[in-house]
Amino acid sequence: MTDDMSEHGCAEHQEALSELALGVLTGRDRARALDHVDSCPRCAEELEQLSRAADAVVQAAAEAEPPIGFEVRLFERMGVTDVRRRHRYRPPRWAVGALSAAAAVAALAVGLSLGLSSSTPPSQSAAPAHGVVTASLVEHGTVVGRVAAHGGAHPWMWMMLFDSSAHGTVDCIVVTSDGVSHQVGTFVAKEGYGAWVAPPVSTRTTSAAPRSSRPAGR
Amino acid sequence: MAEGELSDDGLLAGMALGEQAAAVAFVRRYQRRVFGLAYSMTGDAGVAEDVAQETMIRVWKHAPVFDPRRGSVASWVLTITRNLAIDALRLRRAVPTDPDDFAAAAMRSNEHNPEDAVQRGDVRHIVRDALEVLPPEQRRAVVLAAVYGRTALEISESEGIPLGTAKTRIRTALIRLRAAIEHQEEVNDDR
Repeated sequence: MTDDMSEHGCAEHQEALSELALGVLTGRDRARALDHVDSCPRCAEELEQLSRAADAVVQAAAEAEPPIGFEVRLFERMGVTDVRRRHRYRPPRWAVGALSAAAAVAALAVGLSLGLSSSTPPSQSAAPAHGVVTASLVEHGTVVGRVAAHGGAHPWMWMMLFDSSAHGTVDCIVVTSDGVSHQVGTFVAKEGYGAWVAPPVSTRTTSAAPRSSRPAGR
Repeated sequence: MAEGELSDDGLLAGMALGEQAAAVAFVRRYQRRVFGLAYSMTGDAGVAEDVAQETMIRVWKHAPVFDPRRGSVASWVLTITRNLAIDALRLRRAVPTDPDDFAAAAMRSNEHNPEDAVQRGDVRHIVRDALEVLPPEQRRAVVLAAVYGRTALEISESEGIPLGTAKTRIRTALIRLRAAIEHQEEVNDDR
């Protein structure tokens, strides 16, 4: 490493890397160090590790209970009105959630099932926004969650249940426009509450129709 | 995080979509850490509440631009808190808490089972342990820089030490903390 360091002039920047990681390097010293890091993968790696350590010092701070009324004042400022505690567990009579967006970047139909008893009509899709398609998950006519999907070079899918009867393992099934179902993952819901972010969804389609889910046997 | 609870990334993704339920869950998960950091830095419950509330509002507002590839949610949120606390102290010309008090509070705090936390890769407990074994002058220097945003020059002036000594203390402490984190990660990988 010593040879490499002298070859790339790393040695003279070693001291600066710590201060750079801590965010306390200023002026020309900072510019010089950044310039070096941009052209030196080894120092860029070291800077990343030192930055993690610096962040960790901040994260190590002791926790403390906020004053009484903190939440009330905060939620009022945030415009948050639904501050209910989560519902208790109810027997799973879980039906359908669906997403449809024919003009979406990566239109997908999504079905959720958990000990399915019967299908209900899928929810209406939302308009694509910023390349993200969102829709409500509906159980017996009540919105119990949200699902979002994003296409493009780095596709992802996100799903959240916040007031459902689901409890236990939930399957996420993508139904593409050719009618093929793909199980893209599972997550655990607890007392109706759970969320999941999918790894990149490899399944692509250009259009999809709303689709009710089918029993998954879970 | 208990089984069935959402990941931080999941909550933030929900907030990015304007989901109030995600915002509520996020606030309830992070309010003690955010308020705790602000209070540890300012020593004033009123100022700390202002800082904590502003932090949460910024997270709510800027959740769509959070990029998980650039670091963890905890790191992002607590960096916002730290910066706001530094600003609040400057605006009010207030005296920050002593870095030794900050470190002492961190080292004696025990919010969770440390063993569980280490197994889950919670870096807080690793760093608290590592801070405890640092020489006091190095611990003080790294806390002044990492938490209070003091430059090496400012530390040399406030501590009455040469600039080179301040730089050495900061660097040596940070390298030791990094080594402690890496060591724990290697132990976790071997499990």
